[in-house]
Amino acid sequence: MNKKVTQIISLMAVFGCITIATTSCGKKDPNSPGVEFMPDMYRSPSLETNMAYVSIQNGKETGDTLQANRMPVKGTIPRGFMPYPYANDTAGYANAGRYLHNPFQKNEANLAEGEALYGKYCVHCHGAGGEADGLVAAKLSGPPPSYKGPVLMALPEGKMFHSIYFGKGIMGSHASLINKAEIWKVILYIQKLQYPNGKEVAAPVADSAAVAGVKVEVKK
Amino acid sequence: MDTIYTKPKKHFLAIFSLLFLSFFLSINLVSAQDGEKIFKQNCAVCHSMGSNKVTGPGLKGLMARVPGEEWLLKWIKNNDALIKSGDAYAVIISAFDASAMTTFTNLSDDEIKSVITYIKDYKEPVAATPTGTTGGGAVAEEKGVNPLTLLIGVIAFLIIIVGVLRGVRHSLKNLQNEKLGIPEEESVGPWSEFKIWVSTHKRTTAVAILFIVGGLLSAGWYSLKDIGIYADPAQHREYQPGQPIAFSHKIHAGENAINCQYCHSGVERSKTAGIPSVNVCMNCHKGISKGKLPGGTEEIAKIYDAAGWDPEKGEYNKPSKPIQWVKVHNLQDFVFFSHQQHVKVGKQECVTCHGDLKEMTTAKQVQPLSMAWCIDCHRKTEVPGMKDNPYYESLHKKLAEKFKNLPRDQRKYTVDKMGGIECGKCHY
Repeated sequence: MNKKVTQIISLMAVFGCITIATTSCGKKDPNSPGVEFMPDMYRSPSLETNMAYVSIQNGKETGDTLQANRMPVKGTIPRGFMPYPYANDTAGYANAGRYLHNPFQKNEANLAEGEALYGKYCVHCHGAGGEADGLVAAKLSGPPPSYKGPVLMALPEGKMFHSIYFGKGIMGSHASLINKAEIWKVILYIQKLQYPNGKEVAAPVADSAAVAGVKVEVKK
Repeated sequence: MDTIYTKPKKHFLAIFSLLFLSFFLSINLVSAQDGEKIFKQNCAVCHSMGSNKVTGPGLKGLMARVPGEEWLLKWIKNNDALIKSGDAYAVIISAFDASAMTTFTNLSDDEIKSVITYIKDYKEPVAATPTGTTGGGAVAEEKGVNPLTLLIGVIAFLIIIVGVLRGVRHSLKNLQNEKLGIPEEESVGPWSEFKIWVSTHKRTTAVAILFIVGGLLSAGWYSLKDIGIYADPAQHREYQPGQPIAFSHKIHAGENAINCQYCHSGVERSKTAGIPSVNVCMNCHKGISKGKLPGGTEEIAKIYDAAGWDPEKGEYNKPSKPIQWVKVHNLQDFVFFSHQQHVKVGKQECVTCHGDLKEMTTAKQVQPLSMAWCIDCHRKTEVPGMKDNPYYESLHKKLAEKFKNLPRDQRKYTVDKMGGIECGKCHY
């Protein structure tokens, strides 16, 4: 009787060991996407965005990989593209401040869109109220200037556009993230933050460079 | 006060003027702490205290360079006016860099002086704890013990123990036999002993073999399920490939609360959400060169390397090179999927398909991306704004007609009701 009990226990132990052994390899290598039974069109013969392809030279696969994402041919412009007339230098910055104006009306729809865009592209540095208290700003060596400071309060909209388009100081260019129309809508919202009571935005001052000779980064 | 103003009628004026003076002084009396504060708010964004250039030159050894404190005061207050006045040194340094410095006409002389004092007295903080530089630079991952190796180890250990005990028992028995005068027992090998045991325990052996064969068969059956490229969190199948730069979604999207769309800005305008180009990284990392976690600084240096950015000189002076990120979510070529459609119109959150990236370091595939999964969601999800969107007007009327006789809880304008599970919608 006792012998039988030990036998049953030992059998159960053996079976338990086997079960553990077969199920314990469940955690797969995170670098492997899985086993492919046969080519299942995961790798498209036509070039897909954000994929790397094996470079084929003289009919042979080489070790190099090619990114499908390429730089456009030199001189390529998107449909409906309008060149930006002001150069990325001090003179261009001053001229943008003088001659560039917002083509968009300050209405509810545009402000709402501006607010949504501000929440996606600006808020982490410039802060929800534009006071440079964003979470990322705290990690920079110094915060960006507050929208409500004397320099930016007097900043003409053309200069705002120029700064977002080309970047300024340690802020990089945001032209690759939002298009021109969106930049203007963001500016509408920024002006609303600066003047919540809808005060008319100060007209561009004659010698704007002297008022706000803010630094412009120039690529050499 | 009486000692100053003897005339009693001037007492009031004296007290008033003293109060006024003290008030005036209290707002104008700027200490060194204020200098630090003003510096951090106005200057630190462009100037570092070291010798490296950020946007403006580093301020190390500044006092030795400039003609004097008076000059520096004028320069900080209004560098534009100083250059225009024809000051020799101002003209030299304005020609040195094409970008102009902000004028600080809003700061008082005392405030600027406090900043200058702060710069003069600044001492580099002693590096108390050198940041741990792990060789590879990658964030160290915790490695758990594989249960299989553990099991094999335990079994091997047991076998060794059994072998040793057998040997001990054999020699003890021989010792006893020697005492009793019985001839020495022949040593039987473990294999022949096992064969003897099997021949005497036939029924147990048969049952054990049944269990072993059954276990192997079931293991084989389950392993068949592993064929095919899809993720299944229930089966611990999560594709989480390593990336060329140890980018942490947890730090960027979680701690810093950067919107997903800041980097994946194509999600509302394109089929693909897009992998950010390196200039997007540089929008913040031009100013943030030190990582929080050990090895983070080395990872950020990889961005600089890809962008061709020289953090010492503060300019792009090296050739840039692409970062070959590994794509995590793969769909077959015969499936059409558009992010724009799902996010812009369908108002789906990123988290629905990609999981909570605010908690992930490296992105991983958490949904199977199988057709069953797609269809399931299309059957459950109602199209937002269906009633207000003019695009769906005629369809909405037709569906309203169709739903007339259905109970209220079944009148749902889900995706499948408007052709969201038609083959041609995704396969064409």
